[in-house]
Amino acid sequence: MNRLDATRVIVRHAGDGLIVSSLGHPTYDLFAAGDRPRNFYTWGSMGLASSIALGLAIARPELRVVAIDGDGSLLMNLGSLATIGMLQPANLVVVVMDNEEYATTGGQRTPTAHGADLEAAGRAMGVRRTATVESESELAAAFDTERPDRRQARGSLLIVAKVAESAPTVKPPLDCVWIKNRFMNAMGPA
Amino acid sequence: MTPSPQSQAPTTGPSWAEGVCRGMCDAGIRDVVYVPDNPLAHVLRELGDRYADVRLTLATREEEAFGIAAGLYLGGRKPAVMLQSSGVGNSLNALTSLLLPYQIPTVMIVSMRGDAGEWNSAQVPMGRALRAILDSLAIPHATVESADQACETVRAAAATAFATRLVGACLLPRRLTTAS
Repeated sequence: MNRLDATRVIVRHAGDGLIVSSLGHPTYDLFAAGDRPRNFYTWGSMGLASSIALGLAIARPELRVVAIDGDGSLLMNLGSLATIGMLQPANLVVVVMDNEEYATTGGQRTPTAHGADLEAAGRAMGVRRTATVESESELAAAFDTERPDRRQARGSLLIVAKVAESAPTVKPPLDCVWIKNRFMNAMGPA
Repeated sequence: MTPSPQSQAPTTGPSWAEGVCRGMCDAGIRDVVYVPDNPLAHVLRELGDRYADVRLTLATREEEAFGIAAGLYLGGRKPAVMLQSSGVGNSLNALTSLLLPYQIPTVMIVSMRGDAGEWNSAQVPMGRALRAILDSLAIPHATVESADQACETVRAAAATAFATRLVGACLLPRRLTTAS
């Protein structure tokens, strides 16, 4: 499974949910997989995709909120897992696209290439539902929070998707304010 | 908006802290994301005791707090971020590459270290640099000079931030927060 394949699975399952993408390749792939007004593309603030998604999940409990993070990005804000573990909004899904490299900056290997286990980190920080997946079908199954066997354990969901790098070919518009306004207008007032 | 505070219990904290709480509430703020600090503990206690409709969210790091606040704003809330001046240093990338370019407003309530009365030299360089850093980012900042100005200073800074969609800052100097 490459990252674009995995991103397509997420978009397919997102429904009317909100998606926040981490800067660089995750943002490019989200645009390629399916541009939609409820996508919030970050162009900076490395590490904060899961935090932005957490704030959205608290503000809008009626909507599912998905963060598409990277392994390098999440490692820059690992405390976010502790905050998510503490607050545990059941509508929050954090998907870490773990390609074991800083792909956007030239493919330098990240600590996950040397054994750092982000799912274990999430569990250790109290995130109630976690999974590591290696195929599209596993990702789709992990993503499906409506499965009866998962209803018992409500809480935030962390999915570490082991993905191969896939060179993006398109990028979303660079106009940050346009991205924000389109996103907020699509959601409507709380 | 429902007037706050809901509890008529007499406040027991310092009046500057009461003013900060009223100022935030008057500006429509019902979400406060924070990394704690000794003086801010008075504000947190006042909010917890008398402002039941204000949601307090603890962050592990100030940069994370701004990320959470950005999400809250995108979701339709008006968030404040409370932090110590040293934590502004931890927040610069969130401010410069998320809140400012996307025009995502918040008001930061900054408990000052490194100004008059400081005892810890490790707090001094960032405290002294803070206003110049905010100026260089064109982030407006107001200093709460006395307890009786706290409410209006915070309210005006917050109202301006949300009306203009730009981050604003209110600074709480040690001469205010550590006065007996």
